[in-house]
Amino acid sequence: MSITAALTLEECRTHLASIAGEEHAQISGESVGVAPADARQIAEVLRFADANGITVMPSGSGTKVGWGNPVAAGIRLDLKRMNTLLEHPWQDMTCTVEAGCTWAAMEAELARHGQMVALDPLWPEKATVGGVVATNDGGAMRLKFGGLRDLIIGMTIVLADGTIAKTGGKVVKNVAGYDLHKLMTGAFGTLGVIAEVNFRLHPLEVHARTWTATARNAAELDAPLRALLDSQITPSSVQLRARKHASALDVRIAALPECMGNHEASLRKIFGTIELSQTAENVWRARQELFDTEDAAVLKVSMLPADVCRLSAELQQSAASEGVEIDIVAQATGLMTVALQSAPDAAITLIEHLRWRLRDSGGSVAALKVPQVLRGGLDAWGCDSNALPLMREIKRRFDPNRILNPGRFVGNI
Amino acid sequence: MLPPLPIDELRIAVGADGLITGESQLQTYECDGLTNFRVLPGAVVLPRNAEEVQAVVRTCARHKIPFVSRGAGTGLSGGALPTAGGVVISLARMNRILEVDFANKYVVVEPGVINSHVTQRVAARGYFYAPDPSSQSVCTIGGNVAENSGGAHCLKYGFTVTHTLALEVVLPSGELVQFGSPTLDATGYDLAGVFVGSEGTLGVATKVTLRIVKRPEVVQTLLAAFDSPQAAGQTVSDIIAAGMLPSALEIMDTLAIEAAEAAVHAHYPMCGGLLLVELDGSGSEVEALMREVRAICTKNGAEEIRVAQSDAERALVWKGRKAAFAAMGRISPNYIVQDGVIPRTALPRVLSEIDRMATAVNLRVANVFHAGDGNLHPLVLYDRAIEGQEATALDLSYRILHLCVDSGGSITGEHGVGKEKQEALGYMFSEPDLQTMQLVRCAFDPGNISNPDKVFPRPRLCAEKPGPYTPHPLETAGIAEIF
Repeated sequence: MSITAALTLEECRTHLASIAGEEHAQISGESVGVAPADARQIAEVLRFADANGITVMPSGSGTKVGWGNPVAAGIRLDLKRMNTLLEHPWQDMTCTVEAGCTWAAMEAELARHGQMVALDPLWPEKATVGGVVATNDGGAMRLKFGGLRDLIIGMTIVLADGTIAKTGGKVVKNVAGYDLHKLMTGAFGTLGVIAEVNFRLHPLEVHARTWTATARNAAELDAPLRALLDSQITPSSVQLRARKHASALDVRIAALPECMGNHEASLRKIFGTIELSQTAENVWRARQELFDTEDAAVLKVSMLPADVCRLSAELQQSAASEGVEIDIVAQATGLMTVALQSAPDAAITLIEHLRWRLRDSGGSVAALKVPQVLRGGLDAWGCDSNALPLMREIKRRFDPNRILNPGRFVGNI
Repeated sequence: MLPPLPIDELRIAVGADGLITGESQLQTYECDGLTNFRVLPGAVVLPRNAEEVQAVVRTCARHKIPFVSRGAGTGLSGGALPTAGGVVISLARMNRILEVDFANKYVVVEPGVINSHVTQRVAARGYFYAPDPSSQSVCTIGGNVAENSGGAHCLKYGFTVTHTLALEVVLPSGELVQFGSPTLDATGYDLAGVFVGSEGTLGVATKVTLRIVKRPEVVQTLLAAFDSPQAAGQTVSDIIAAGMLPSALEIMDTLAIEAAEAAVHAHYPMCGGLLLVELDGSGSEVEALMREVRAICTKNGAEEIRVAQSDAERALVWKGRKAAFAAMGRISPNYIVQDGVIPRTALPRVLSEIDRMATAVNLRVANVFHAGDGNLHPLVLYDRAIEGQEATALDLSYRILHLCVDSGGSITGEHGVGKEKQEALGYMFSEPDLQTMQLVRCAFDPGNISNPDKVFPRPRLCAEKPGPYTPHPLETAGIAEIF
């Protein structure tokens, strides 16, 4: 079998083995998997791929490998060997970690000094830092701490031509040069391979409590949610969970133990007659559970925060009338995850309706997990940005031979 | 040599009342807050809207004329310094707040809106705009976006980029594009994230969507007097190590206190190192944490601890701090403001080293800094009238930046690279790093007309072949010089 007109799979594997070592280059199906040990080896692999026109898909543990448009990669660049927390100057509250380190392994190390990267990504036990960053994943903690854009202070990246570049730095405040790490975050590995990431850290939230309010329809939770967000309470996380006939609003507050009572009192005042009960921390796994439904499409829907309950109620309504199963977890920031089960036509109609519905407010719908039956009929990104030509030009400058995840991202980038 | 300016085309673009070509009027625009660099532009245009900005930029693109956009001109690194004979696009007339949305916590403003006017507009409903550079009563949002401005409170609240949701931008081709959205995670590359802090080199922002923040229930400011900035610095490390995230942690040394006192009479205690700690949040929380801060200050030998008792007292404390740069004029005929960043823990060592370096060349350095995030503002004091002293002072200020880089930090935390620190950027980043940044620059501005010759260590041309640096044909032919 051959990988390009000029190279057989075995020739490709042999060359990659000469870079990463025999045991770290293997043929699997119609591609070659290679696991480099460091940024220098990544650079050598990419230089070889670029020179021979072989497509490359960088991957960590593969938890989000199906997100975006499918890619037929000749080389799967496996970052699992690069799994070390390289530096944790805890008094400076920063760290440098290799891209292949799992989120949970990094968390465990940082927790030894009572610190964390203030982000709650999916599948932390498996997901790697590089994958979380490349897909710009993150959960409800974003309300208080911001997203990866606000937590990453520097990066080491490897470009398609083998250039190893550093961007940002290891200090929290820094405006020297362009912030290339912001370009890499959420770029789905189309501009370069992330080798190392520098984070700013926060103290662990030691004393935290979660309360849940329930209602039949999400619309009933609209007023208290708006009042909460307009108040001086600063919750760590707020999420709305909604199914056909059930809705719940979860609020997590971290505070000094002696102040928790005051916060609870303020919260109860906001919720008035709606009952509020303390719940277990595992409600925050709800977003992740949406991905467990076998044949569901999972969407990332971005909307204005004040639209969260209203849009959820609309979705509950369409689920009731059209025989569509929906399961919603929406953060108070306006980022919503929706698991959708229905006949393919109805799913596509609903996604198109949502895109139309959100267009005026600048919102968007990206299909993250797409069941096989929907592939082909659905544009995973639905991006109609007038900056798309500029994005294509950036891609062309960074990866002129289109070897990195070609076609996976918006506008077939 | 630039081609002659197409004055008629510029006049059509912005109207006769939006065009300045007279030499005496042009002199107003020959520098920004970094006054030791001065260059006379060929023309200044004052567009009223994005269409006029587009018309100007298209004209510049067609004739290959460099342009520099400018807000209030308060920048401290020469970012708004004109190119000789080029065009300055002043955004002073684009100063409207277009939309305020409390339910979704954002405002949409034109780039010429003054920073503090955003807060003034939303204050009645209990909101504020968080980034607060010391020049906030005059500097504009467009300039803040260009420099990714910070301020004293970015320790807790983040920088301009943290608060920028979306941008409308005129690209160097004249095309109008939208980056980001009032909703999070617009699909595609995070171009708003890259544009903020690009110092005017990637285009002109004509509309900015900013996040606003609910004002906390209680704000308390504490002043603690120590016998040295090092002791104050240790206190900062201890406060952070205790797991607190104050909204501001500032330090001033004796020289800085003297100058601020002379300028605004802030009633600071005279001491070797003054620490200012601001906490905000719920009443009970702030009270509990303030107790802890006091204990840490006492443990580190604070001679005096004071809490501002009223809003007026708190405002005066901040007035003194924010006036510190300008106040240097009271104690020295000339001074250079620097803007290095170091890891917080390196603070005591770096301060001692700066002291040693200054003494060795017989100069004084005043220190005012955002200690919580390690952002130093060493002020090198000198007298231009003494022959050779300016050169010595400049040399010292650059050596201080090198010291910051060697300590694992950065050459700029909030003032930008601009014209002033181009060479220092080359000390901080290696060639491949700079070449990679250049890929972005060339994708946005292949003709190199948007604030050219800034930020990067040497003029670079956009070679057609992307990737590692290859000499441009003009360079090989000896037509353009790359040094």
